[in-house]
Amino acid sequence: MRLDGVWLRYHRQGPWVLRQVDVAIGPAEVAVVLGRNGAGKSTLLQLAAGVLRPSRGRVADRPPVVGWVPERFPADQPFTVGAYLSAMGRVAGLPGPAADRAVRHWVERLGLTRFHDVRLPRLSKGTAQKVGLAQALLRPPGLLVLDEPWEGLDATARESVPEIIGEVLAGGGTVLVSDHRGETVRLPGARHLSVTDGTVTEEATSGGAAVAVVELAVPAAGLAAAVTRLRAEGHQILRVREHAVPPPATHPVPASAGPSGTGGSVGESAAGSPDQAGAGAEDSAGPGPASEAAR
Amino acid sequence: MIALARLRLTGFLRTGRALAPLLAGLLVLGVLYGGGRARPAEAYGVSAVVLFPVLAWQTKILLDVEPDVQRRLARVVVGPARERAAGLLAALVAGLAVVVVALVLPWPLGGVTATVGPGERPVLVGVALGLWAHLLALPAAVALGALASRAVTRSAGYGVAVLVTGAVGIVVLGLSGSVAPWVVPPVMATARAVTGPVAAGAGLLLTGWAVAWTAVALTGYAWARRTRA
Repeated sequence: MRLDGVWLRYHRQGPWVLRQVDVAIGPAEVAVVLGRNGAGKSTLLQLAAGVLRPSRGRVADRPPVVGWVPERFPADQPFTVGAYLSAMGRVAGLPGPAADRAVRHWVERLGLTRFHDVRLPRLSKGTAQKVGLAQALLRPPGLLVLDEPWEGLDATARESVPEIIGEVLAGGGTVLVSDHRGETVRLPGARHLSVTDGTVTEEATSGGAAVAVVELAVPAAGLAAAVTRLRAEGHQILRVREHAVPPPATHPVPASAGPSGTGGSVGESAAGSPDQAGAGAEDSAGPGPASEAAR
Repeated sequence: MIALARLRLTGFLRTGRALAPLLAGLLVLGVLYGGGRARPAEAYGVSAVVLFPVLAWQTKILLDVEPDVQRRLARVVVGPARERAAGLLAALVAGLAVVVVALVLPWPLGGVTATVGPGERPVLVGVALGLWAHLLALPAAVALGALASRAVTRSAGYGVAVLVTGAVGIVVLGLSGSVAPWVVPPVMATARAVTGPVAAGAGLLLTGWAVAWTAVALTGYAWARRTRA
C-alpha cells in the first residue's frame, strides 16, 4: 500500500493537516505511527484505511479487505455485542454461517463471551474497544489499521494485540498502528513513522541497541542478591525504592514472567531482549512511567 | 449493501427515532382527511405534497441515527459508494412504508370516496395515480433528506435550514405561474395534474422531471460526501 504525495486538509480554507506524505508499506510489514497529540496520526491512519480521501495525491494498492479499529469504538448503538458483530460480518460480505463462526471465534478469543448478549451502550470503554477490534478482524484483513489499540484494554487483551498483529503479518497482511503509550515495544521489527508538523518521516529503528525499563518487585531480604545477580547478567540497575503501592505498569508483565511479592522495587534497564527493539519509540510519543524511572 | 441497509433500518427502528416522523405523517394525513371525502387521485396528490417534508425529515433522521464513527467503519468495509447507496436504500424502504400507510389510511378514515360518478375515473385508476404521485415524491424527498443529513451539513442548524428551504421551496416554486418551477421536484405539478385527465406525454414529462431532479440532488450528495466521511 502506498501514499503518493498525499496532502490533506479538512476544509477548503483550513490548514494542511498532512503535507506531501510519501509512504509505502509492503505486505507482511508493520509500521508504527508516532507523534504528539494532534500531530495527525489518526488522520494518517484514516487516509490509509480509506475513511478519508486525500485533498491531493493518492492512496494506491490498498488491499481489498481493510480492518480499521478506531480510537474510540462507537458504542452508542441499539445492538447487543453478538447482533452487532454478526451484522458487521454480513456487511463485510461474509455469508450468514461464516459470519456467525467468525463472531464466535473472536468473541471467545477476546474474552467477550459473557458480553455476547449485552447491549453496546452498557459496555465499559475497554470492552467496547474489544468489540471494535473484533469487527475489524471478522474477515482476515489485508490491511489492518489500529488507532491506539491498547487504549482501555485489560492486560490479557493487551497481550493479545501483538499476537493478532503477528497473525495478520503471517498471512501476508499489512499493519499500521498508532501508539502514544509506548506499547509498541511489543512489536519488534516494526517500522516507525513519525508525524510532526504535518509531515511524515521514517525513523531508523535502533534494533538491538534499544533499551527498555522493566520494574521488578523482589523480596526485601533478597534485594542485594537480586541486584548483584541482575548486574552480573549485564542489566543496568537504575534505582531501588520502597515498594509500598505498586505504580501502574507501562506494560503489565504476565505472572509467569517472574516472581512477585512485597519488598523492594528495582528499576532495571534491559537490553538485547526481543521485546525491546521498539523502546526508542517512547522518546517520540512522550515520556511515560518507564522513561521517568530511567532518569 | 443490503446487509448495511438492513443494519441501518434496524438501528432506526430500535432507537425509537422512527416514531417522530411517523407521528408527524399521521398528523398531517389526519388533518388532510379530516375535512370530508374527496376522489382518490385528488386526495393522494395533496397527500404526496404534505408528506414530502415528512419523508425528507425521516430520511435525515435515519441517516443521522448512526454514530459518525460507525458510518466511517461502514465506509471502510464496503467502500464509499456502497456506504452512501446503503443509506439511501434504507431511507427508500422506510419511505415506502410511509407511502403504504398514506395510501391505505384515507379509506378507514373516510377521506376518500369509492363512489364513481358518470365520466369519472374508476377508483383503481385513481389509486394508481396516487401511487404514482407518491413514488415521484419519495426519491426526491430522500435526496433532500440526504442533503440535510449530518454527514453533509455537519450541524443540526444547517440540516434544518436545508430541510425547511426544500420543503418551502417545493410549495412556493411549485405554484402555478412560478418563475422557476424546474428548480424543485414536480410534487405540486403532479398534484395539479392528477385532478384532471393525465395524458401520457404529461405523465412522462413529470416522471422525467422528478428523476432528473433526484439525480441532480443525489449527484450533489455524492459530491459533498467525497470529503465528508
